[in-house]
Amino acid sequence: MKMMWFHLMPYPDLPENFNKENRSVWVDIDPALFDPEVMADTYDNYIGQLVFAEDCGFDGICVNEHHNNGYGLMPSPNLIASILASKTSRAAITVLGNSVALYNPPVRIAEEFAMLDVMSRGRLVAGFPVGTSMDTCYSYSENPGTLRQKYAEGIDLIRQAWSAEKVFAFNGKFTQLRTVNPVPRPMQKPGPPIWIPGGGSVETWDYCAQNDFVYGALTYYGYKQVRETVGGFWDRVDANGKDRNPHRLALTQFIGVADTDAEAQKLYREPAEYFFNRSLHVHPGYTDAPGYTTEASTRAKYKSQVRATVRAKQANHDLIWEEMVDNGYVVIGSPDTVRETLEAACTELNVGHLCTMLQFGNMSDELTRYNTQMFGDKVAPALKTLHAEWDDPWWPQYAVGGTHYGKGRG
Amino acid sequence: MADVLYLFGIYGHPELSPAMKAVEAAGFNVHVPSVPGFDGKAGFTAPEQYLDWYTIWWDAIDALGSGPYHVVGASLGGMVAAELAILRPEIVRSVSLLAPFGIFDASNPGHDIYAEVSAKRPPYLFAKDVPDAFTNRFADLGPEEFPVSRYLCDTAAANMLWPFGERGLSKRLHRITQPRLTLWGELDVVSPVGLAQKWGGAQVIAGAGHLMEWDAPEEVGGKLLEFLAAR
Repeated sequence: MKMMWFHLMPYPDLPENFNKENRSVWVDIDPALFDPEVMADTYDNYIGQLVFAEDCGFDGICVNEHHNNGYGLMPSPNLIASILASKTSRAAITVLGNSVALYNPPVRIAEEFAMLDVMSRGRLVAGFPVGTSMDTCYSYSENPGTLRQKYAEGIDLIRQAWSAEKVFAFNGKFTQLRTVNPVPRPMQKPGPPIWIPGGGSVETWDYCAQNDFVYGALTYYGYKQVRETVGGFWDRVDANGKDRNPHRLALTQFIGVADTDAEAQKLYREPAEYFFNRSLHVHPGYTDAPGYTTEASTRAKYKSQVRATVRAKQANHDLIWEEMVDNGYVVIGSPDTVRETLEAACTELNVGHLCTMLQFGNMSDELTRYNTQMFGDKVAPALKTLHAEWDDPWWPQYAVGGTHYGKGRG
Repeated sequence: MADVLYLFGIYGHPELSPAMKAVEAAGFNVHVPSVPGFDGKAGFTAPEQYLDWYTIWWDAIDALGSGPYHVVGASLGGMVAAELAILRPEIVRSVSLLAPFGIFDASNPGHDIYAEVSAKRPPYLFAKDVPDAFTNRFADLGPEEFPVSRYLCDTAAANMLWPFGERGLSKRLHRITQPRLTLWGELDVVSPVGLAQKWGGAQVIAGAGHLMEWDAPEEVGGKLLEFLAAR
């Protein structure tokens, strides 16, 4: 199993009463809450942590894209990834990803991802999320009813742009280009592996299975709550006649490791509470613009008690620590405790790419590095042997663990 | 009697409003097109472009097989009515616009009801209680299908209006040559009454919200009948 280090890059200095006195951390958050000096230090720390993760033996480092918010400070993950490409040499640079419908024309993504792939010498994972309702429909005012059509068309264009040997014209419903000819083309052929971060959309499961894309079950609520989503994905993999290679799936999980269970409880409570009650304090009216969710997923949503429970939790933003731990939102404990929990979870869920989230909320730089080091030294080695019988064709060719790692160009 | 074409508003068409029932009772033949998406039926896919909507609306209107019409358009339907008068003047005898969308005014942006969860949207559309017709729409489909149909109807309306910006009508408005009546709810929070001046010559309905036909049926019905009778 590949060990990834995923950074959400939260703003670490939201006031304690933020969720009582502000409507939302996303979309219309008060810009006066952000101090540029704090932001500058924060970017320094966060980029340093991502580089440090490679030093600690992680196979990949991950960034993502969000807008208008204090939850994640990366409106442009490609800017961060370009620094990581320069400062690292082994790890997969995993951009999860660029919200395709927000780029006009989407060939811009083909260009920037190709640049990143070349700059990292073939270590890029290309993530193509639809993007949250908050990011796409409210922050960027994309029309929710056509967002997914535009997204799918954009991915088609990007893939053609990467693999085409000649200049071509593109005549889509949303994008028409007379001359498509991005320079550079990616180092990996026919292009970087494609991962699709998803939140449980029925159509996305089929889309990934049919196109042999990795499905990224990006959840804040941990391995227990995501069972239904992951089960739905594997059902669609079966239905589409594909194998159950665990590397088809990536999963996010908040984790806190310390010498003992008691010590972990003490260390990670505050940053977890900060994340769930401040970083994730999203006004419910922004979470599902009309048309953002497909008809099939809307129907599934109203039939799912599990998702109804999660929705209720999201609406409250008033989670208590014991609930976060008991429900598996955060896996906390000694190296043995964490390893046993994750081994069981990743076996049950059949996960081949574990996107650890070892920094969350207002966790300090010191604690983040401690957590990362502990996980890298005492948890990851045992987990890396999981699913070793399977190849991973969705891994960058020139990153550590890739088919061409150490063989010339990379 | 003359044909009246009624084009419904942002929250769909559960049944004829009390004001339009008054128009019908006065002897007008009131026609309402059935428009995909707004009917809440499964299988709706939003069109790619704003202009594509007018193919859908024109097809639905032409399927009624009547006309030319006195057109009454409310809210979203007011925007459609204005476009119909501009782009297909041959089927429009007069046009009545009830708080239409389609023109943006930075001084009067209005409350974005799509920044509210579904259940909290209706109260923003009325100055008085939400009529049962809207509350109960799709309820007969059962607890699992009801929210899906409600969602599809909202999807259609949102797709036409998103993100409540200028639809170019301020540039085209002078192309309306037919007799025009414009009404605006005094207490409209979605499309504030300050916007009315952008449309010119609007009459304000006291105590009414956005879907004024339901809040003030007698006054709105009376204004419509008075206007129609003079055509």
